[in-house]
Amino acid sequence: MDPLLIAGVLIALVAVSTLIGVVVRARTGRVRADGQHVDTALLDAEAELTLLQLSSPVCSACVAMRRVGGQIATADETVGHREIDVTEHPDLVRELGVLSTPTTLVVDRVGRVRSRIIGAAAAATVRETLEDARRTPAGVAA
Amino acid sequence: MSATSPAARPGIDPRGPRFGASITSVLLLVVIALGLATPLGGTLVERLTEPAAVLQTLLVALFAWGAFAGIARHPYGAVFRTLIAPRLGAPTEREDPAAPTFAQGVGLLVTGVGLALHLAGVPYALVASAAAAFVAAFLNAAFAYCLGCQLYVLLVRAGLLGRKTA
Repeated sequence: MDPLLIAGVLIALVAVSTLIGVVVRARTGRVRADGQHVDTALLDAEAELTLLQLSSPVCSACVAMRRVGGQIATADETVGHREIDVTEHPDLVRELGVLSTPTTLVVDRVGRVRSRIIGAAAAATVRETLEDARRTPAGVAA
Repeated sequence: MSATSPAARPGIDPRGPRFGASITSVLLLVVIALGLATPLGGTLVERLTEPAAVLQTLLVALFAWGAFAGIARHPYGAVFRTLIAPRLGAPTEREDPAAPTFAQGVGLLVTGVGLALHLAGVPYALVASAAAAFVAAFLNAAFAYCLGCQLYVLLVRAGLLGRKTA
């Protein structure tokens, strides 16, 4: 094959990979509104809002998110943090359309998903999302 | 949550596997270039001794090392610890070695299947498998992409992993 063509293939491959990387990075830590429901058995019954973290067994970002969620739940008694393994809840993963872990759902007492946080987010982002959920009436959140 | 400094916590420096992934990315690009430059050999011995196949065999062996011995014992890790890490300063976080070890296993599968198909005489098997492995290795090196975080949940959704639905 022509060396110039080979160089073209390599450049195209690097370009496509970079594009994928930029898209994945843009998704990380992003928050979006949601309107789905989850089983209240998965929630912290004591808490007003539960951070329901969907994790997978081999996931470094899940560990980082666990630390953030755990700290917030410890500091604020109206917030709970629960972590579930996607391997044990394949139906939930499909139903909610979860594409990567960690995906953290902000769920109210009745099991309504108020927003979802994709990837490992900063503590400030999580607190802001919780504040938004408190301010917004459930009907509007969807 | 714990008061100990990040460096004292168990786990590996996450920059180690990323350093290894950057070397792997470059080697995979070389495999692709060599694979495209050389026509597919007619006999098994010719296909085995093609430059691209020799390099891919080395990469398969390195992935196997990372997957079976664990990422912490990978030779790139030793290079990182002696030459690179002392110049970088302490890491801000530590990582569970399970995730990069899983990624090594995925790399082994992809490059191993490509090599086997190439030896069986399938055209472009080396190039295609090296390209797939390159995307993952490059994303890991350049963007700290965590293959375990993305791929695992997709396998669960496809019903290949996890408890079957009733």
